[in-house]
Amino acid sequence: MADELKEELLEEDASKGKFMTFQTGREYFGISISYVSEIIQMQPITAIPEAEDYIKGLINLRGKIIPVIDVRVRFKMEPAEYTDRTCIIVIDVKSTVIGLIVEKIAEVDDIMDEDVVPPPTLGGHRDNEKNKYVYGLARTGDTMKLLLDPEKLIKQEDLNILEEVQEEEQQA
Amino acid sequence: MAEEFNTDSMLSMFLYESYQGLEKLEGIVLEKQDADCFDDSDINEIFRIMHTIKGSSAVLMYENIKTASHKLEDVFYYLRESHPEDVPHMELVEKVLAVSDFITGELDKIKAGSEPDGDEKKLVEDLDQFLGELKGEIKKQGIRLPKANKQEEPTQFYITPVAEDDSHFYRIVIHYRSDTQMSNIRAYSATYALKEVAEDLLYTPEDILSNESSGDSILAEGFHMLLQTKASKDEVMELIDSSEAETIDFDEINKTEYGKALTEFGREAPPIVINLDDDKGAAKDDKQQAPIAPGDYVVKSKETGKGKTLAKNQPKQQAVISVNVEKMDALMDMIGELVIAEATVLQNPDLKVPGLDLTNFQKAAAQLAKNTTELQDVIMSMRMMPLTNVFQKMRRIVFDTSRKLGKDIDFEVIGENTEVDKNIIEHISDPLMHLVRNSVDHGIEENSDIRQANGKKAKGKITLEAKNEGGKVYISVKDDGKGLNKEKLYNKALENGLIGDKLMSDFTEKEIFKFITLPGFSTKEVVTEYSGRGVGMDVVVKNIQSIGGRLEIDSVEGQGSEMTLVIPLTLAIISGIVIQVGEAPFVIEMASIKEFISVSEDALIQEPSGEEYLVLRGDCFPFIRLCEKYDLPGAKTKLEDGIVVVVEHEGKQICVLIDKILQEQEIVVKPIPSYVKKVKGLSGCTQLGDGSIALILDVGGLMIEEERR
Repeated sequence: MADELKEELLEEDASKGKFMTFQTGREYFGISISYVSEIIQMQPITAIPEAEDYIKGLINLRGKIIPVIDVRVRFKMEPAEYTDRTCIIVIDVKSTVIGLIVEKIAEVDDIMDEDVVPPPTLGGHRDNEKNKYVYGLARTGDTMKLLLDPEKLIKQEDLNILEEVQEEEQQA
Repeated sequence: MAEEFNTDSMLSMFLYESYQGLEKLEGIVLEKQDADCFDDSDINEIFRIMHTIKGSSAVLMYENIKTASHKLEDVFYYLRESHPEDVPHMELVEKVLAVSDFITGELDKIKAGSEPDGDEKKLVEDLDQFLGELKGEIKKQGIRLPKANKQEEPTQFYITPVAEDDSHFYRIVIHYRSDTQMSNIRAYSATYALKEVAEDLLYTPEDILSNESSGDSILAEGFHMLLQTKASKDEVMELIDSSEAETIDFDEINKTEYGKALTEFGREAPPIVINLDDDKGAAKDDKQQAPIAPGDYVVKSKETGKGKTLAKNQPKQQAVISVNVEKMDALMDMIGELVIAEATVLQNPDLKVPGLDLTNFQKAAAQLAKNTTELQDVIMSMRMMPLTNVFQKMRRIVFDTSRKLGKDIDFEVIGENTEVDKNIIEHISDPLMHLVRNSVDHGIEENSDIRQANGKKAKGKITLEAKNEGGKVYISVKDDGKGLNKEKLYNKALENGLIGDKLMSDFTEKEIFKFITLPGFSTKEVVTEYSGRGVGMDVVVKNIQSIGGRLEIDSVEGQGSEMTLVIPLTLAIISGIVIQVGEAPFVIEMASIKEFISVSEDALIQEPSGEEYLVLRGDCFPFIRLCEKYDLPGAKTKLEDGIVVVVEHEGKQICVLIDKILQEQEIVVKPIPSYVKKVKGLSGCTQLGDGSIALILDVGGLMIEEERR
């Protein structure tokens, strides 16, 4: 019993403080590894009409159909062309499985809680698209990593969407 | 005793049988609710059902169910034996339904894993009183069978009860059908039933309850019984539950033979007191005047009233095994994966290498395709269930509601044998119940005077109809009542702030009718027990939408309304055509495709507003360019280059321009992940043979889009 508990703690420790980092544009971003289920190569994507521009479409992950979103577009950056370095990070956020298209995977970094500082705010600065999803900054090596909150990254507008759908249904 | 063997399987069998029995019972009762009385076969059937339930609930020691069913059985026993005149039919119907409700409630408790603790006393008192009234305190004979509940202990020393003059001796051998489940329990319930009338009863194998494997020997050799009783053959036959029996060999034997037979059963022969001629014994029996020659009795050949009901039941008895729904679902999923895997193999890009000789491969592939299609069909048919049970419930609801509200209503059911997927049945029961209640409560006028003043029949009429059309099932509830008042609906919606401040003229008739499905809408001023709380119609719509169906409302004020549920036949696998527009593959359900056609630019008419129509053989159809609608790059824009698909939905047709047809395929419908906003005109997605994903076009959705423009 005690051993099990220990193991569990250890396991938690193993993923705690570890961040999957990737490069988009000039900046590096990090996602807590506990959200990441796997990294796959770029796949053929079936586009969904009328969906938000950052939702690129659906991919077939071994029989499971999951939506993928382009992180660049999500940050309101100019979409970049997909190369052979482009990857899809499959994340699982509260049972919603979604793929993130990123330009380049960097590495897995150890980032301790005490190294994380909240992003500086200056008045309306928070409205910046990129910063909406960033909950903290961390310096590792000689680069600054922007740590993403995956829940915000994927969920943000869901509420509005739901309302919209309901409204439409009512009109119908 | 019940704990000694597997109570789980016994319990589920008990529940299954009892539920079925009760459903059948309700069916009979409601069918005859307007008749003056039950006919003989009905009485027999109800008696039999109650008897079975009584027997099995006694075995499982559910005392209250046993007592309640026993009482009702008594009532029907009296009806059957004494044929009393002037039975208050309506009262009887209510009594039967009350008992049925009580038992159903208890069964539900058992199913949920709790103890059936309902109090049957009130019910029993009512029945007693009712029975007393029926008898009028005069007729005393033929009321109750002589009881001789002897609990034999076969292993102990035993003295056979002394036979009386009018005792009969029978040797009974029951052969159950080879696929009968738990024959030992059926055998036990037969012995249990017979104990009521038996002066003496012996059976082999003896350890039917404690030894589960005894079931096998019963199946192999039959279940042998020796019975000494005062009851007549018919009465004994009645007591034996013959539902799963193949044959029942029924010999009347004389006392000497009985004695011999007893020794065969391992018991001492009784002292012979009087050597009774068995012909005389039979003649004494009041019901059966003709002497009965000893001989084999096969159930089918019986000539009395009971024989009729049995013969009627015979074809209905199918060999049925009940399977856990989860297993069925798992199987269904597997088949879905198999279909995809099949497509992946048969359309594998490796096969497209030029110069390959695939003759044998194609042959084998064709065989495989055939088998998987058949497999699919079988699985689908396994999951299909007739709507009979659901409709039965509705009958009951109309009966209850109309009586409580004092409305006289004729209820007609059409097409109750229509079959739909089991999953869907589970989802439509509640919505349908709501619609039916609404029709009774809101639809039909308060009293017959109003109806007659409007030139209608005094009796209201509600029709429940199911039909199967083009891969969809239509279930409609139609009444000939007041109909919907558009103005009233509009004002109410305005009042409740459901539609903002739009004018009535902004809405079409159908849109106004749709108001009643908005949350928080109720035009009924007085909330009744059954409806009018304003929750309901929106729930109905939600439930129906969750299984991919929709609700259609049609009404003419003063003449009645019709609510139609349109639901898909099945949710899982459909056959479709894979098409391509630009780069993107789409799937159109086969059932909705009318034709593929190649037309020239001349057939196109363009309105100044930009809307386009296509003229085909003199008719004009709305025209959709899929590439424009969904903004698909690289698609062909000239009519000559592409193909026009004519799709139909509910009698309306539209033309859709696509690039090319890829193939026909069985597709497994998967939902578009909920993360993605719902797109109008798309109903799901599927995986194609090469692993890529195609979106499934929802023709109905496309049309709604088109209409709204």
